Amino acid sequence: MGRLFATRLAAFFLTLFAASVVLFVTINVLPGSAAKSALGMEATPQAIARFEAQRGLDRPLVLQYGEWLSRTLSGDFGVSFQNSVPVGPELLKRIPVTLELATLAFVIANLVAIPLGTLAAARHTRRSDKATTFAATVFGAVPNFWLATLLIMLFSLYLQWLPPGGFTPFSVDPLMNLKQMLMPALSLGLVSSALLIRIMRASMIEVLSSDFIRTAHAKGATEGLVIRRHALRNSLIPYLNVAAVEFGFLFGSAVVIEDIFRLPGVGSLVLVGIVNRDFPVLLASALSITVFVLVVNLIVDLTVAILDPRRVKGGRT
Amino acid sequence: MIGLLNDFDWQRWRLVLIGGTIIGILVICALFAPWVAPYSPYDLDVVEMLQPPSAAHPLGTDELGRDLLSRTIYAARISMEVAFIAASVGLVFGTVIGIVAAYFGGFVDLVLMRFMELLFSFPAILLAVVLMASLGTSILNAMIAIGIVFIPGFARLSRAATEVVLREQYVESARAIGMSHRRIIFVEILPNILAPLLVEAAVAFSYAILLESALSFLGLGAQPPEASWGNMLNTGRGFMAQAPWLSIVPGAAIFLSVLGFNLIGDGLRDVLDPHMKE
Repeated sequence: MGRLFATRLAAFFLTLFAASVVLFVTINVLPGSAAKSALGMEATPQAIARFEAQRGLDRPLVLQYGEWLSRTLSGDFGVSFQNSVPVGPELLKRIPVTLELATLAFVIANLVAIPLGTLAAARHTRRSDKATTFAATVFGAVPNFWLATLLIMLFSLYLQWLPPGGFTPFSVDPLMNLKQMLMPALSLGLVSSALLIRIMRASMIEVLSSDFIRTAHAKGATEGLVIRRHALRNSLIPYLNVAAVEFGFLFGSAVVIEDIFRLPGVGSLVLVGIVNRDFPVLLASALSITVFVLVVNLIVDLTVAILDPRRVKGGRT
Repeated sequence: MIGLLNDFDWQRWRLVLIGGTIIGILVICALFAPWVAPYSPYDLDVVEMLQPPSAAHPLGTDELGRDLLSRTIYAARISMEVAFIAASVGLVFGTVIGIVAAYFGGFVDLVLMRFMELLFSFPAILLAVVLMASLGTSILNAMIAIGIVFIPGFARLSRAATEVVLREQYVESARAIGMSHRRIIFVEILPNILAPLLVEAAVAFSYAILLESALSFLGLGAQPPEASWGNMLNTGRGFMAQAPWLSIVPGAAIFLSVLGFNLIGDGLRDVLDPHMKE
């Protein structure tokens, strides 16, 4: 087990390093000069050259990467090209917003997926199974940004129950925070539940056809008892494996939803970085999302290895 | 002919037929947009601004008085084009990488698949957004960016399928008689791994439409005045109270096309691999 942990950790750091190279190279070939974006279209060539020299943008990419990496590893994400504000504190302020959004969306997705997936599996091939599968197919086709727009129209404009956007920290006003987060979380969570319903259904069907379930039935246990006591726990292990990976992707998919609801999260910072050609902002925000996704995947990997060693492949993943 | 129709297993192909009908209608709209659309998608009419659905404009008009039905029909062109090209980029490059990795194994496999795993670790929308920022905002670049997002998925799938095929006797026989690598790959392997790739392609089509719409919605894909469901939806955001149809119509078009491709993908999976249905 120790060796497995070491291998997974080594693979994690290697992937992280490679991801940072890919992001750095991709972002640093952005068209449209960062200098022009920061100084304005009327900037003189001399001003542009001075701007690039001050920020080391005129040096070879490898040197720029080396310097950026050593700074980042010491916790310094650089300063914004636009307003010279340090990126690190801005990022730290925004991570909890995206984390809260992803967590709420994840909770909603599971609250929908686990009961519906279980119901569909318990009524396998019957009408309720077909209806649930159909609903999952339909929900899986709804773009989350369209659902977000429809929710705003219904709950903010028509019923006027919820605010159409903005963010109040939970510590300042918990109720307002939840009101503002409900629609963004529903937009992400309901669409995400479509995949999870299918996973839960498949996992539960597999468990329900196991010998120990047949034995429980033979002993006279009711359907509900068999599912609650025996099947649910066993079907949740493979389900949570996929669900946890989905949690990482919810964090990464927040870009569009944060833009719609004007949430000051990491996703909207990515867009700020793109619009302003602000390399340090874009790089730090994109990298933090990638790190989060990779960490979640690593935790899932290790948890599965502990809970169910049979599922871990010996060699490469 | 009637006999053939009677023998056809409608139940088995049900999902493919429903999805195919939806996509068929959209493809016809996209191909014959100038004949199907009642107006030009670019004709401005300030008198007809933000008009609700009526006999003259069945889906209403937008903030510049343009006919929404016509713009939705023309936007189908962009979505279908992006979906087709992006899925093709992913399919071709991903399949080649996957087959080469499995066929040659060893170091080639390690390097190629590690790079694919790396690309796979980025959330799709993040990768597409960063690539778009790097390539520049245009519909061609959206196709390339989305295509790159799909490569790892196809590579993984084709590598796994190739590994199965490589154990078959006919491949070993082909190797034994000295057939060239290229011939083995194209004649013996490729035709036998097409089924799962087709299913994945249908899913990729739907995902490409979603990604292109998301990019255009964020202002990184198709640029106005070009009609795209994503940028139409984005425009609609500013008029949700006065003209809700501007948000409902393009979103419904994205939903229907994604649903159509998903049904085709699910249906093909059920037909080609009935065990997957469980």
